[in-house]
Amino acid sequence: MTTVLVLVAFVSAYVLIATERIHRVAAALSGAAAMVVLGVVDAHVAFFSEDTGVDWNVIFLLLGMMVIVGVLRRTGVFEYAAIWAAKRAGGRPFAVMVMLIVITAIASALLDNVTTVLLIAPVSLLVCERIGAPPVPFLVAEVLASNIGGTATLIGDPPNIIIASRSGLSFNDFVLNLAPVVVVLVGVLIVMCRVMFASAFAFHPERVAALMKLDEREALQDVPLLVRSGIVLAAVLVGFVSHSVIDVEPSLVALLGAGALVALSRLDPEDYLADVEWGTLVFFMGLFVMVGALVEVGVIGDLARSATSAVGDHYFLGSTVLVFASGGLSGIVDNIPYVATMSPLVADLVSAGDGSAGSRSAWWALALGADLGGNATAVGASANVVVLGIAARNGHPISFWGFTKYGLPVAAVTIVVAWAYLALRYFVLA
Amino acid sequence: MRAGDLAEPFPVVTLGTEAVTAARTIGDHRVPGLIVCEDDGSPHTVLGGSQVLRFLIPQYVQDDPALARVYDEDSSDQLLAALSTRTVRDLLPRRQDRHELPVVDSDATLLEIAASMARLHSPLVAVVDDGRVVGAVTVSRLFEHLFPDVSGTTS
Repeated sequence: MTTVLVLVAFVSAYVLIATERIHRVAAALSGAAAMVVLGVVDAHVAFFSEDTGVDWNVIFLLLGMMVIVGVLRRTGVFEYAAIWAAKRAGGRPFAVMVMLIVITAIASALLDNVTTVLLIAPVSLLVCERIGAPPVPFLVAEVLASNIGGTATLIGDPPNIIIASRSGLSFNDFVLNLAPVVVVLVGVLIVMCRVMFASAFAFHPERVAALMKLDEREALQDVPLLVRSGIVLAAVLVGFVSHSVIDVEPSLVALLGAGALVALSRLDPEDYLADVEWGTLVFFMGLFVMVGALVEVGVIGDLARSATSAVGDHYFLGSTVLVFASGGLSGIVDNIPYVATMSPLVADLVSAGDGSAGSRSAWWALALGADLGGNATAVGASANVVVLGIAARNGHPISFWGFTKYGLPVAAVTIVVAWAYLALRYFVLA
Repeated sequence: MRAGDLAEPFPVVTLGTEAVTAARTIGDHRVPGLIVCEDDGSPHTVLGGSQVLRFLIPQYVQDDPALARVYDEDSSDQLLAALSTRTVRDLLPRRQDRHELPVVDSDATLLEIAASMARLHSPLVAVVDDGRVVGAVTVSRLFEHLFPDVSGTTS
């Protein structure tokens, strides 16, 4: 009976999160509270259980990176890079778009997607105004690039952080397994943008002078802080790359980096904490307790056994279903709760496998499907919603379908390419 | 002391007044805003100087102030030129975003005036008598009477 009640509470909270009838933080906390009331979760399970409680590695990795971003964004480096790139592109709209796509994808691999688009979108609007290009295609291309670029690393997208923590996969595992296909996918996106936005690339030579007059160096507000931030960010990346060697969790690497940056920047707490999304962190905590309750009552275990017997040693079939189902669902519902729910299931599925590259490919199928699926609709990922808001505020509203008519084909094509990559790398060529 | 006693003659524009003229009036009279009246002389709203600036400065520059530094002087002039084809009607927020009208009757007390300014974040209130604007009270004029200089140190 308890299991049924836990399932009802979980599904109810999930529906509330998906439909946004109430704020997702309230929905996740209500779901977590229901698990406590049902007696499935106590303080020990919620706060100290590594398998069924709050995953503090995820929480503190996010917190550390948010603080780092909070300092980094004050340097003006993103504005500098975007204007510099647009000028190097000679003001030719397609070349400018390619530059902005590449910058956004790289930044999203290192920082969270929402922050990246928040920083890139305003300067893109400025560049578009200068060169006389319609801004909507540029904004849409950037958010698509952000969701693709974020797929490349452990820290690029919250679902990857959850997967890393639940799977024990390292930063290097993510880079080695996902970055190659992400490079290909960015190329695919550029080609698709050329086709989808063909009418947006009219070149106005007479307006190039207006672009060239922008002085990107003026955007650099605090050069000493930029230098210090660059050094710390580089050290953090070295820490991520070597975390399995030096035996320090990515969460601690991020916190140490955040602490160093705070000390070096000498900013006030309200400044570097202003960019911490406390609501997102609390949402994650509630989510972990909800999913942990499903594990506690054995629902995840039962599902994993069913999935394991269904898949058997047909790992390619399993990864195929996982990448396409994850892609489809992530376009409709937030990919964070989806991955939080699926991770324990995939962990059981992988541990029941034979340890081959094919059996372990389920993790990459989950990451690729969930991350790339976020491009499908206007509500598929948080970055999409943020860019739509920026566009509307600047007098260029993008409707749900206005986004989806570009996002859906890109999500579909990139997921098919990702599936082909999985097939080739982990099955055909393994 | 009542609003009617404090009210000073104040520049008034209509919805059809050219935006450049409105901006110039704010500058020439060194006032924080203007009273916008209907054609029949009844008050429509108050146009604050910051609303003119919000219209002039692109939203993306307001979102990311670092971008304001990358413009050269010519580009800044081009931004200001955006006012040339506009009227006061274009500068006002959309009707659904507008707040209550900062207007008080001529017999309103100092505290009523202060409450209206505080509630509506307005640097001035229009003073009306029988539905007609008779002047306005600015926040500096109000403070002059709320905190009189008893030491005589005002230059």
